[in-house]
Amino acid sequence: MLPDTYSFLLILRIALVVILYLVILQVVFVSRSEMRRAMLMPVATTRTKQVVGHLVVIDSGSTALVPGTRLDIEPITTIGRAPTNTIVLDSTFVSTEHTRILYKDRSLWVEDFGSRNGTLVDQQTIAQAVAVAPGSILQVGDVRFKFAV
Amino acid sequence: MRNLRRAQFGGIAGRGYRWTEMWLLVLPAAFMLVGLLTLLSVNNLATPVDHNKLPPLDAFTPAFGLIAALVGAHLLLTIIAPDADQTILPLAGTLSSIGVIMSLRLGPDLNQPTLGTKQLVWVIVGLAFCIATVKATQDLRWIRNFKYTWAAVGIALVGVTLVRAHSFSTNAPSRDVLSIGPGGLSFQPSEILKICLVVFFAGYLSENREMLASASYRLGPLRLPPVKHLGPLIAMLGIALLIFVGVRELGLAILIFGLFLSMLYVASNRPMYVVVSIFIFALGAFILYQIFPYARARVAIVGNAFDPNVALDQGYQIVQGLIAFGTGGVFGSGLGLGKPYVVPASNTDFVAASFGEEFGFAGVLAVFGLFMLLVYRGMHIAVNARDSFNQLMAVGLTAGFALQTLVILAGNLKIMPLTGVPLPFIAYGGSSVVANFIIIGLMIRLSQRNT
Repeated sequence: MLPDTYSFLLILRIALVVILYLVILQVVFVSRSEMRRAMLMPVATTRTKQVVGHLVVIDSGSTALVPGTRLDIEPITTIGRAPTNTIVLDSTFVSTEHTRILYKDRSLWVEDFGSRNGTLVDQQTIAQAVAVAPGSILQVGDVRFKFAV
Repeated sequence: MRNLRRAQFGGIAGRGYRWTEMWLLVLPAAFMLVGLLTLLSVNNLATPVDHNKLPPLDAFTPAFGLIAALVGAHLLLTIIAPDADQTILPLAGTLSSIGVIMSLRLGPDLNQPTLGTKQLVWVIVGLAFCIATVKATQDLRWIRNFKYTWAAVGIALVGVTLVRAHSFSTNAPSRDVLSIGPGGLSFQPSEILKICLVVFFAGYLSENREMLASASYRLGPLRLPPVKHLGPLIAMLGIALLIFVGVRELGLAILIFGLFLSMLYVASNRPMYVVVSIFIFALGAFILYQIFPYARARVAIVGNAFDPNVALDQGYQIVQGLIAFGTGGVFGSGLGLGKPYVVPASNTDFVAASFGEEFGFAGVLAVFGLFMLLVYRGMHIAVNARDSFNQLMAVGLTAGFALQTLVILAGNLKIMPLTGVPLPFIAYGGSSVVANFIIIGLMIRLSQRNT
């Protein structure tokens, strides 16, 4: 057999392993540039938010909120203890994902998200999504808000 | 430049084409073609390479079929999930192209010339399931709401195998014990159970997260959450572990327990749970070690595999596997130029040894890197997940994947007792490939911001 086939095979052998390392390199490169992008524009990733109303804190319960603070309501607003929520309430009476406020058909709807202590609108525990108007009182755990435009 | 591309392909996706994924997919395609060329060149060698020749037709189909399947999956993802992670499919594609090449290379020597084509069929089925999963889970809530159903389905499927398990001898390979269905189409429900359990644990833990974090009962130094919240969790885990102990598949038991611990830790952020669980597990393992001679034999092999009495009998497979790794050395014997088929189960349990012999340490290191990157991407998805259910799903699936890889690689390398869990994507076997592609599909879905 010609020695050429062996050198050809040697090249192919090197190529096979090199391709595997290239995949690794490329993925590492992609991950790195993704990380850079995330670090460079932390604001750009959060879309310009649309505000459809406000929540005024009446009773801050055991959280560090100051009564009277106006919080923005976005088309989908989640309230809970986890930092992933739109409005984070650091209180033991508040579940990780407690309440959700949705903007639908030109009005705001409050929906309980399977919380332990329930969500109260105007002193009533809600079982399903209810529409709220400015002036309604929302209670999440030991924190109370008033809806405002 | 970016805008230009967007304008050109705006019609397809509207939000930009998956360029990164496309470029990354060039590499597995190149790997397939170079591998094919190597195998065909080896065929032409007249020198004593004593193995069966690969029929060219049987070689072309898997090589080009795999490339076509990956491109197809890529195009479908462009339509279904344009913003999803773009590195996962190429990584899984590279690993499965290694799997197809290994099946292709080993097939003729194992007197199954169509082994490569069969593996290709499984990869295509897997990719189809992957895309179907991405499509079906657009709203993850239906999966989450039926968490008990999923767990029940998984356990029922494995329960069927449990009933049949008694008809096998004690040392039957686990893949025979754990499969149902007629010979050619058999599949292992245990692979599916793994996914079902992750869904259940993720659903249950995300709902009871605060319960676990705020413990109320004191038991010495340990603070426990109310029993009624721990009950379903421990029941499910117990049933799963008992099943695997019942079918003598301790590798899967370790896998399930490991992914459960990872998820529990992420959900509760309390190292104490993990410490206590590991202690209980160690106790259980010790008891099992005393009860099952099977487990004792497997552990004993790790210690005395090279004992002359053992090396030719029970330790034959593992010793041959280690010899294969050693023969490969740093750069390997070259694809098609080694004799990996000497090792029993060289295309399934010991595919890592086969790969190690022909690609050497350099190749094994690369494959390990690929697995690690897949795990890294999984954890990356978990960190960026939208809510706790998605996060726990990503953690559980990734942990299961990582543990499975480690358990079988460590088994092949005689670091821990050998178990029959397959090496993801690379080992020949239908249900493993399909189940892993379902996991990939779930990961792709979880990586989307708006899931």
